[in-house]
Amino acid sequence: MKRLLLSLTVLLAAAGAAFGQDVDRILKDLDALGDFGTQDFSAVYTIVSAKPGEKESVTSVQLFRRDVKKQFTMIILEPEVNKGQGYLREQDNVWFYDPTSRKTSFSSLKENIQDSEARNSDLNLRGFAVDYESAGVREGTVGSVPVWIIELKAKTDEVSYERLTLYVAKNQTVLLKEEAYSVSGRLMRTTVYGRYVRLGGKQLPSQIIIVDELNPGERSVLTMTQQSVARIPDDVFTKAYLERTSR
Amino acid sequence: MKTVATIAFRNLSRQKKRSFLLGGAIAFGIMIVTLINGFAGAFSANVAENFSHLLAGHVFISGSEKQGDKTVSLIRDDAALTEAVRAAGVPVAYQTRRSEFSGTLIFEGKKIRTNVTGVDLESEGYLRERLLLKDGSWDNAKDPRAVILSEKIAARLNAQVGDKILVQLQTVTGQNNVGEFRLAGISYDTGIFGQLLSYASLEYVNELIGLKPDEYQTMGLMLDSLKATEPSAAKVYAELAETVSMFERGKRDEGGAQTPFQALLRQQRQEDWDGVRYRLFTINEVLSQIEQIVAALDSAAAVILVVLFVIIMVGIANTFSMVMFERIREIGAMRAMGVRRGSVRGMFLFEALFLAIGGALAGIALALVVMAGLSLIDFGMDSPAFLILKNGRLSFYLPPMRAVGNVVVIALLTLLAAARPAGAAAKLEPAVALRTQK
Repeated sequence: MKRLLLSLTVLLAAAGAAFGQDVDRILKDLDALGDFGTQDFSAVYTIVSAKPGEKESVTSVQLFRRDVKKQFTMIILEPEVNKGQGYLREQDNVWFYDPTSRKTSFSSLKENIQDSEARNSDLNLRGFAVDYESAGVREGTVGSVPVWIIELKAKTDEVSYERLTLYVAKNQTVLLKEEAYSVSGRLMRTTVYGRYVRLGGKQLPSQIIIVDELNPGERSVLTMTQQSVARIPDDVFTKAYLERTSR
Repeated sequence: MKTVATIAFRNLSRQKKRSFLLGGAIAFGIMIVTLINGFAGAFSANVAENFSHLLAGHVFISGSEKQGDKTVSLIRDDAALTEAVRAAGVPVAYQTRRSEFSGTLIFEGKKIRTNVTGVDLESEGYLRERLLLKDGSWDNAKDPRAVILSEKIAARLNAQVGDKILVQLQTVTGQNNVGEFRLAGISYDTGIFGQLLSYASLEYVNELIGLKPDEYQTMGLMLDSLKATEPSAAKVYAELAETVSMFERGKRDEGGAQTPFQALLRQQRQEDWDGVRYRLFTINEVLSQIEQIVAALDSAAAVILVVLFVIIMVGIANTFSMVMFERIREIGAMRAMGVRRGSVRGMFLFEALFLAIGGALAGIALALVVMAGLSLIDFGMDSPAFLILKNGRLSFYLPPMRAVGNVVVIALLTLLAAARPAGAAAKLEPAVALRTQK
């Protein structure tokens, strides 16, 4: 009997370890999917935001990324009133350029893009495997698609959300849904990755729906167009470029 | 000289109506200027005193801890701070411990961004006295998740006492968090600063921003009086500097900081340290831009003084020219009887001086009466202008040297205005003056 219990315990521990390794692999795969490495990436994102009692607002941004150097440049194309505003990331520093005052100020990846539900970090390199550890895995479905439901807990307090729940498709490693929770454990926002496109050997979400769970009725739909992995000139990732394009 | 002064005084009495009008113009000008000076004199003290009540202190100590790239505002253990305050022997009326965050309050589809200050709602008796509740009660504040909002914020959220209000915020390390308050009371609105007035339990605020129950962010020392602020701050700083790591006070900043407080914050960003480092600052440093408003008010008073007296000087110069012409035969007779040129000039100048001093003193007296009258009006502690009031009433402080300075300026300007007619009167030849026909 003792032997049986011991064998069962060893078997469960081994299964757990194997599953833990699987989760790590899934997280690394998810990170790799959005990481263009030495390739440059550019796209135009159109963000349509809805708020109860307000007219839908449309924001359009041109994004340039060079993941190997942790660089990005983002220029606001629409609305007209904010046209020319831009963000520049160099390693862990993010700056915001305002063409009206012609001044650059410190900003952050946690900042929302204009008045939408999307944040700068939503359009940038993710680091699930680096920032989070698994707190539990179970099986489930999103619609009719079988998924792994992975609960993550932040390894540090550097990230915006202390807990995430990821819904990852079983048949191919793509993220279908993500729930972000506050430190107190309250669901703050749900992100649904509606459609994916292939680009440069990567799977990229071309439609993202972000729902604000604290403010019912507030949501943003991001649509990616004009995606490309063509080489981007070095000077795009400079403050001078932000100033130049705003003229 | 005494005779000349006596004649000058009698001359003024002879033309009572004219003297009254000229003196009245001077009195009016000096009254306006004195009122502005008096208001400016009390303005900074009133704002500082009222802010010290809102922020619960005249002297503040806050801690900053480096955690990787981040600087986290917190005080972990205040034993050394409390001991330093005790050793400094400063007149502390009471001591407060507070934490705060800036967050978004959400209630039934409405939201507003505000600062929420975590206070010990049970023990901060002074806060209860200052913060008048329009609705709800302090008994409701016993709820660990109680929040007191200003009238304006409650109205924007359309929330009533007893409602549950969500709050979205970031912890001290920048993580998103959500809490749930229960509206315990609605305080009277205090104008543009209404949004400063959201109070919740220190323990719950600490929980939301990621601090432990016995930690906090700022220690406030409420002193016996505002005047004790700077000497007390110097003493406490000296004691603290011996036991804990402190940011330098009063360091001049050439990086564009506009106030000493901004310079202190800039210093924090630029320097590197281990553990918790403390900064000490005073209500005067936080509000040092108020001094710019006072300087602007004083400059406006000076401009008004100059403009009013340029107009009055023209009037005085014309009047004295007319007076000289009216008295031309009298001057001729005086000169014929042996009165010297200097005495004639002196007579005119004495007249001008008496007029100036009389008008100025009357103006200051009038201003004091108006100030006393205005300070009797009780605007109430719920007035939108409460920050510039003293206990709900207008208050004035006229620095004595400024009043003396105004009188001196008026006297000099009036003498200057009368100098030309006085000189012309002195130069008159007796024979010419006596045969002049008016």
